[in-house]
Amino acid sequence: MSFTITCPHCGERDVYEYHFGGRDRGPPPSQEDSGIEEHLRYAQFRTTSTEAQLEWWFHASGCGTWFKTWRNPANNREEKPQETGNE
Amino acid sequence: MSSQLERLWGTSPLKSHYDVVLIGGGIHGLATAYYLAKEHGITDVAVLERRYVGYGGSGRNTAIVRANQRTQENVRLYDEGLRLWPKLIDELDFNMMFFNCGNLNLAHSEAAVSGFRLAVSTANFCNVKSELLDPQQCKEMVPALDISDRPYHPIHGGMYHEPGGILRHDAVVWGLAKGAYKYGTHIHQGVEVLGIDTDGQKITGVQTNQGSISCNKLAVMAGGYGASICEMVGMELPVHPLTIQAMVTQPLKPFLHHVVSSGAYHCYANQTLKGEVATGAHMDPQVNYSTTPTAWYMKHQAESLTEFLPCLKGVKFMRIWAGLADMTPDMAPIMDGNVMYDGLFIDVGWGYFGFKSGPITGKYMAEFIAEDEAPDILKPFALNRFLENRYMGETAGATNYGHWN
Repeated sequence: MSFTITCPHCGERDVYEYHFGGRDRGPPPSQEDSGIEEHLRYAQFRTTSTEAQLEWWFHASGCGTWFKTWRNPANNREEKPQETGNE
Repeated sequence: MSSQLERLWGTSPLKSHYDVVLIGGGIHGLATAYYLAKEHGITDVAVLERRYVGYGGSGRNTAIVRANQRTQENVRLYDEGLRLWPKLIDELDFNMMFFNCGNLNLAHSEAAVSGFRLAVSTANFCNVKSELLDPQQCKEMVPALDISDRPYHPIHGGMYHEPGGILRHDAVVWGLAKGAYKYGTHIHQGVEVLGIDTDGQKITGVQTNQGSISCNKLAVMAGGYGASICEMVGMELPVHPLTIQAMVTQPLKPFLHHVVSSGAYHCYANQTLKGEVATGAHMDPQVNYSTTPTAWYMKHQAESLTEFLPCLKGVKFMRIWAGLADMTPDMAPIMDGNVMYDGLFIDVGWGYFGFKSGPITGKYMAEFIAEDEAPDILKPFALNRFLENRYMGETAGATNYGHWN
């Protein structure tokens, strides 16, 4: 669906201006301490949340910045996860 | 409605226990239920569908069937699937409107022609009809094609796959539901799975919006939502749920007698028996669970289609819709059983290929569930291939659409 993503420099713009960089999964497992399976798992196994998740986006047709933002894949709104108080 | 007409399938009481529970009332789930009963005598089966049967990908695809994939493992499965349609139509006594019109893929570069050469060799090696065409032969087959050097991506050649065609996807869903119900399958619409129960290493049942149901075996066959159901037991999968859009034009006189598709233009089209040109686009690139179409793709589709079929200029789109494709990194599905938990079967990651293979997958998944052992034809599709770095080569397939084509 069409929606907007907010670039830190250019502001709120149409999603088709961006490249999607995937969910932020933190740094890859270290070369020394992990095997091929961990690397493959890091590279391809992922959950796509139905709640807000932190993602990488690249403003390809704009300022050319990589940045992180929260988005909910269930409704494509930019929203932060709700505070549950349990975490 | 006349009272003479019998309903194709009826409602059944929701029991608290079933031998087998299948999540997802689409082609895969219904076909599995049908074959579980017909070929393995397992009739204590429930199909749980959150909305109504055929609501998801089963009723949203462009209903194209073909068996000209990149790898032999895939070609064999899809080929058997292709040959199953006429038999299934007889067996179910239900007209699924199989139109064996053949598929013409267009190549817009020499690299794409090389890709076709490879695909044709693979198909012929597997005894599947497929042939390479030059632009003139493409033009003879589809006179409306523009084979001049005017388009941005001129046509360099084509690959024609005669056994392919289209069906009516709703009829496929209805026919399978009719067949499964006849054998005693309980088809529950409006039942949403909210959780999966386990006991140690074993699956014991599901939590639904209508209460809990225990079962001996559970299969996840929920298309684009399959991966999110697997997450309920903490199973992470290499699956990306992506929106894919399709649309139809106003009805036209018959002019397009084959499925025509183009990788470079990210566009495939066929003229339905009603005269409308049904056409699909590529997937939206960001993962999401939305099925809302966008103006961006309508424009893209209009531009692409009229490049190689210029006679469509000025023709109006009547409807546009979207569905979910659960795409894997190697563009091949994941079919596995007793994975993570005993009694848990998964049939996910079909991307935008789930329709072509629905009934044949149901046949083999039924065998898998009944025998607890993967049939040989399904073995290459196990989940473990992603952890052993043995990806299938489907992303290089000449019939696929991506930035690599």
